[in-house]
Amino acid sequence: MSTSFNASQAKTNLDPVGKSVPRIDGKGIVTGQTKYVFDVSFPNMLIGKMIRSSHPHARILKIDTSKAEQLPGVKAVITAKDTYNIKYGSNEYFFPHTVDQMALESEKVRYIGDEIGAVAAVDEETALEALKLIDIQYEVLPSVTDPLEAMKPGAPLIHEAMNNIGVILPVNFGNPDRALKESYLVREDKFYASAAAMAALEPHVCVGQWETFTNKITLYSSSQAPFKCREALAKTLKMDLNDVRVIKLAVGGGFGGKLEMLPMDFASCLLSKKAGGLPVKICYNREEEFSFSRRKHGMYYTLKSGVTKDGTLTAITGEVIADGGAYCSYGPTVMAAAIMRTFMVYKIQNFRISGYRVYTNTPIAGAMRGFGGVQSGWAIESHMDLLAKDLGLDPVEFRMRNITTPNMITVNKMHLTTNGLKECIEKATEAAEWKKKRGNASYYKEGVWRRGIGIGIAADVMGSKMYKSHESAGSIIKIEEDGSVYLFTGAADTGQGSNTALSQIAAHSLGVKYERIKCKSGDTETTPFDTGSFASRVTFISGNATLRAGKDAKMQILDIVAQEHKMKIEDLDIVAEQVITRKDNKVLMSFDEALNLCYSFNYGKQIIGRGSYNPKTTPIDFRTGEGNVSGSYGFEAQIAEVEVNIETGEVRIVKMWDAHDIGKAINPQSVEAQIEGSLAMGIGYTFYEDLKFRNGRVVNANFANYRLPRSIGTPEMHTILIETNDPEGPFGAKGMGEASLLPTSAAIANAIDDAVGIRIKDLPITPAKVIKALQEKNEQAKQEVSEK
Amino acid sequence: MLLKPLTYHAPTSLMEASKLFTELEDVKILAGGTFLLNSLKLLKRKGSKTPNHVISLRHVPELEGVTLENDHLIIRAMTRINDLFDSDLLTDNFSVLKTVCRNISTNPIRNMATVGGNLTCRYTWTEMGAVMIALDADMHFIGADGTDTGMKAEDFFKNAAKTDKIFSHVSIARDKNAKIAYRRVKKTLHVDVPLLAVCVKANFRNNHFSNTRVTVNNGIAFAQRDTVLEEFLNKSKCSVSAAEEAMDHLDTKIYDTRSDDYKKHMFRVSLKSAIKELAETSGS
Amino acid sequence: MKNVTLTINGKKHDLALEGHETLLEVLRNQLGLTGTKTACEESECGTCTVQINGKAELSCIKLACDAQGEDILTIEGLADGDNLHPVQQAYLDYGAVQCGFCIPGMIMSTKALLERKPEPSQEEIEYALDGNICRCAGYPKIFDAVRKAGEVMKQGWQQAARPDEKNESRPDMEKITCGITYEEYVKTLNAGKTAEAADQ
Repeated sequence: MSTSFNASQAKTNLDPVGKSVPRIDGKGIVTGQTKYVFDVSFPNMLIGKMIRSSHPHARILKIDTSKAEQLPGVKAVITAKDTYNIKYGSNEYFFPHTVDQMALESEKVRYIGDEIGAVAAVDEETALEALKLIDIQYEVLPSVTDPLEAMKPGAPLIHEAMNNIGVILPVNFGNPDRALKESYLVREDKFYASAAAMAALEPHVCVGQWETFTNKITLYSSSQAPFKCREALAKTLKMDLNDVRVIKLAVGGGFGGKLEMLPMDFASCLLSKKAGGLPVKICYNREEEFSFSRRKHGMYYTLKSGVTKDGTLTAITGEVIADGGAYCSYGPTVMAAAIMRTFMVYKIQNFRISGYRVYTNTPIAGAMRGFGGVQSGWAIESHMDLLAKDLGLDPVEFRMRNITTPNMITVNKMHLTTNGLKECIEKATEAAEWKKKRGNASYYKEGVWRRGIGIGIAADVMGSKMYKSHESAGSIIKIEEDGSVYLFTGAADTGQGSNTALSQIAAHSLGVKYERIKCKSGDTETTPFDTGSFASRVTFISGNATLRAGKDAKMQILDIVAQEHKMKIEDLDIVAEQVITRKDNKVLMSFDEALNLCYSFNYGKQIIGRGSYNPKTTPIDFRTGEGNVSGSYGFEAQIAEVEVNIETGEVRIVKMWDAHDIGKAINPQSVEAQIEGSLAMGIGYTFYEDLKFRNGRVVNANFANYRLPRSIGTPEMHTILIETNDPEGPFGAKGMGEASLLPTSAAIANAIDDAVGIRIKDLPITPAKVIKALQEKNEQAKQEVSEK
Repeated sequence: MLLKPLTYHAPTSLMEASKLFTELEDVKILAGGTFLLNSLKLLKRKGSKTPNHVISLRHVPELEGVTLENDHLIIRAMTRINDLFDSDLLTDNFSVLKTVCRNISTNPIRNMATVGGNLTCRYTWTEMGAVMIALDADMHFIGADGTDTGMKAEDFFKNAAKTDKIFSHVSIARDKNAKIAYRRVKKTLHVDVPLLAVCVKANFRNNHFSNTRVTVNNGIAFAQRDTVLEEFLNKSKCSVSAAEEAMDHLDTKIYDTRSDDYKKHMFRVSLKSAIKELAETSGS
Repeated sequence: MKNVTLTINGKKHDLALEGHETLLEVLRNQLGLTGTKTACEESECGTCTVQINGKAELSCIKLACDAQGEDILTIEGLADGDNLHPVQQAYLDYGAVQCGFCIPGMIMSTKALLERKPEPSQEEIEYALDGNICRCAGYPKIFDAVRKAGEVMKQGWQQAARPDEKNESRPDMEKITCGITYEEYVKTLNAGKTAEAADQ
C-alpha cells in the first residue's frame, strides 16, 4: 500500500497534520543542490587525518611527531599533549564510571584504530605522507576480542572494570525461581545476535574552524545530535557553550552512529587552532567508516522461561552478554533497552535477566538503530514461538494471552497509556490471512520450495533520559512581516523527515498553511536545545515543543486582535488561515490581516512563539530496573511470509506485513517510508549483514563484503497504520522509526520454522545454516525411525 | 586524488593501439575500466607501484560490435555486457550468454564493463571465461604487425599466459544441436561475486550425451573443465537419473579444494540441476 | 597536461587534465557539481552514477579523459529552472526521498531506464537499480516513483518552458490594511490637544 501526494496538483495545504505533504527540503535533494557536510569546501581549507593505533591493546611509550611537522604542506599536528586530557562519554549524568574515552589517547590504546593524534595538511596526499612519518613506540599488551573470554578471570584488563564488565544491569522482579518450579513447562534457549554496521551512505565528516581572535569554534558535522557534540567539545576544550557552535547540514543517514562527538570532531577544531584558524576537514572513507566509527553490540542472549498449561507466561529469566568494544559509548542504555523492552510487550511479574556489557579490544559498539531492542527482539520473539510450539498453541494465540494492555503499569513501573498492540496483531494477521496459511503444510509446496508464515511483535519508546537530567526539546516560531514563518528547532533531521513533520505541526498549531513554513534545524547557535535524533523521540518530544511554540505565537496574535476588537481572547481561534470566533465559527479576518494588525503602527509587536517540552519520565534505575522511561510507547506486529528452498537453503521473503501503532501519523507517507526502510534494515540484519573481526580488525570493511539489501530481492511490504490518538503526543502522535526493525529477524525465523521445521538461533540466517539444519533434521528423523 | 599520475593514450585504430602496447613500458589496457580503475585505486591506497601508461580502447572502431559471420558469432572486445545482453543474435547455443550477462555485477557496471575486459583481466571470478570454454570459443589477439593469433579459450585460461598482444574478439561457432545449462550461486542472497558457477554443455546422439563440456568457476583457479565428469556423461544415457549417478564421477579437486561444506553441497546441487535440465530439454 | 573538452549538462567545459583524474573528481572538485556523490572506494554504492550517452555509468571508475566526446548528464542538468524532470517530481511526490544521499545516483539510473523503457516490469526496475544502494528507504517507494515517472514520460513529456506561475504562498501584504494609519494617529493627537484646549 502506498499513499501518494501529487504536489503539482495542490499548491496549498491547510491543516497539514495528517496529510502526506511533500518534503520541505525535498526539492534541493532531487536537484542535487542540497549541501551535506560531505560537500562543504572553504578557501584555504586543510585536510585532516587521524593518527591511529595499529595494535588492539598497547601502552603508548613515546610519540614523535617532529618529522611529520617538518614535511612541507603540513600545517598542524596534534597529540594528547595538546589537549587537557579530559575524558568524555555518552552517559555522564547517570553513569560517571562509564566516562572512559579521551578524544586523543595518551596512555593506552584499546582497539585497532584508537585515536592518538591528528595531522592537517594542504591536501590528502600530504596528510597521508605525514601519517607515515609519525613515530610511535608501543608496549604491546595481550588483547582479548571475544566477550566471553574477556569476562574470564585472568583476561587482560582493558579499563579498570573488573572482569572487563563495564556495565552490569541486574533486573529482578517477583520470585522467578518459584514461578519456574511451579510452571507446567519450562524451556531454555540460547541465541546469538551478530554485530552489524550502521552503514549510512554519508560517512562521518566534519569541518572545524577555530576563530583565533575571538576563540570561538564553528564545527560543521554530519551529526544526529549537534547539542551533544557541542557539550562534549565544550567539556574537552574547556570552553563556554556559547563559544562553541555546531552546525548540522543535510545528513546522509545516521542510524545511531552519529549520536556523539567522535575524536575527529574534536581534532578538526584543535587542528584548526594550531594551524592559525584555517578550516580543517576530516572525512572518513568507507573502510574507516566500517572500522573506526561505531557498530552494533553483538549479544549472547540466554532465556529460560516458564508457562502454565493454558499458555500464560509465569516467569522469564536469562542472561545477556553484550560485546561492547573498547569504550562505553551508549552501552548502558543499549543494555537497558535490550532487557526492558520485554516489559512493554508482555505482562510479566516474575523476571530476572542480568545484563553484562563487556569491554573487548574491538571497534566501539554504540547506539545502532534499535538500541539493543533488535537483539532482544530476535531472542524473545523466537523464544516465545518455541514456547508456543511446545504447548501446541498457535503463536498468535499465545501472544494474545500474554500481551500488555492499554492503561496499565508494568512491573518495572512503565506507564503504558495508549496501547494498540492487540489491534496491531489483529490487523496484521487479518491482512496476512494467518489462519489460512499457518501450519498449513499443503498451502504451498512446489518442487523444492516450502512456504511458511511467522509473527514477531515489539514495542518502542519515545526518547528516554540517557545522558542528562532532562531530554527537553525547544522550538521557536518567528513570523515575519510578510507572513512567512520560520521554525527554529534543535531537532536534527537525518533524513527521516523531522523538518517536514515539525513544519506540519507548526503550521497546524498556528492555524496557517504548510507552505508558509521554512524550517531551520540543528544549529546550536540559532536553534533551541534538543537532545538529538534517537530513540524515535523527535515527533513526540520536539513535536510537542513545536506545538507549544505554535500555540504561543497564535496567542500573541489573538491577544492583539482581541484588544483591537474588544473581545475576549478565549473566544477566538485561528484555523485554516482565518481568525474566527469559536462559538459560531464566524470569520473575523484573515491571518494576514491579523498579522498586519500586529505589525501596524499602533501595536508594532513582533510575533515570536516559544515552546519547550520535557516529558515527565524517569530514567532507568540501574539498581532495580524500574523506570517509566518514555512519555508514551509505540507498538507493532510484523508478519513474514517466506519460501525456503530445501535444496539450496535460500530463503525468499514473499511478503511482509507491518501493523504499527503510531498514535497519529503526522505525515502518513513519511511514516510508511520509515517503516519500510526500517524493515529493510531488519531484513539485511537477518540475512546479509555480519560485521566480522579477526584479531580485533574488521575484516569486511567494504560494501563488497558487507552486503546491504538492494533493489533485487526487496519483498512486497504492506504497512498498516493504527492511530490510537495518544493524549500526550502532539495531535495524538507518538514517535516511530526504530520499531520496525525489532521483530523482523524473529518473524522470519518463525516463518522458516513453520515452513520446514528448523530453528536457527544465531544470526545471520545464511543458506549454509539452513542446509545444515535441514540435514540435521533429516538425520534425526532417520534415527527416530530406525529406533522404532 | 583517487589514482596515481599516469599518461592517458587514446589510439583511434587497432594498429595504433597494438603498436603502443608493444612500445610502451609499464602499460595497462583500459577497456571498460571497471576492473582496472578499482585495481589502480587499491594499489594507490596500499602505496604500491601503479602503471605509468594507460591505453584506452574507447575510440578503436575495429573493436566494436557483435556480428554474425559465416554462422560464427563474433563478439568484439569492447562490447559492453549490457549490449551483449540486448543483442538479437543470441540464439541457439549462444543464448546462454544472455543468462551469464544478466548476472554479472550491477547495472551501471554492466553498462561499462566489456567482454574483452572480463575475459582478460586475470581475476578468477570473471564469469565469461567458463561460458566461453563451454562454447569452445576462439579468442583472437592482434599483434603490433597486425597478425591475428587465435587460441582456444580453454588454452588461454589454462596457460594463464601474459601476452603482448591486444585481445580483439571471440569467435563462437553456432551449434544448433547443443544445449547449455548455466548455474551461478551467489555468496549471500544478493548480486555479488558468486560463490561458484558451472556451465554444462552437451550434444545428443542416440539418446546419449555427447561432446560434453563441463566448465567451472570456483573462485580459486581460473575457469577450468571437469574432464572426469565429461567422460562419464559422454558414456551416459541422456536421462534424469544420470544427474544423480554423475555425483560419483566428479573431479573432486575442483569442487572440494578449500571449500566449506555448503560450497561442496552447492556444487553438487548445481551440477545435478544443470544435467537434469539438459536431460529434460534434449528432446526439443 | 592535456587539453580535454567535456560536454556536461549540455555545456562544453575546456579543462587541462593530467590524465589520472576520474570524472567524479572533475565534477565535484573542479566544476563544483557536488550533486554527484561518492560513498565507497570501489564502485559498489552507486552514489556517483551519472548518465553518459543515455546510459547509467559510475563516474568514480571513469577516467575524465575517457569521457571526451560523450554526452555527460549529472543530476544538476535535469531540471529546467523551477520545472523538475518527471523523475525528480515523482521521487518527491511518492515519498522516495529520505536522507537523500543516494537520490542523485538513483534518479540518474531511473532516468536511464525509463528513457529506454517507460513501462518497465518489476524485474527490469530491480535490475536497473541494483547498483544503487539506499540505506533509508527499503525501496518500495522508490519503485512507486519509478513506475509513476514512467507513466508521465510515456505520455511524451517535454522539457518545455512553462509560464511563470505566481507564488501563491506569498500573500500580497501591501494590499492589506489593519489597525490605524499614521494620519489617523495624528488626528487622534490633535483631537487630544483641542480637547485639552477646550478644558482650559
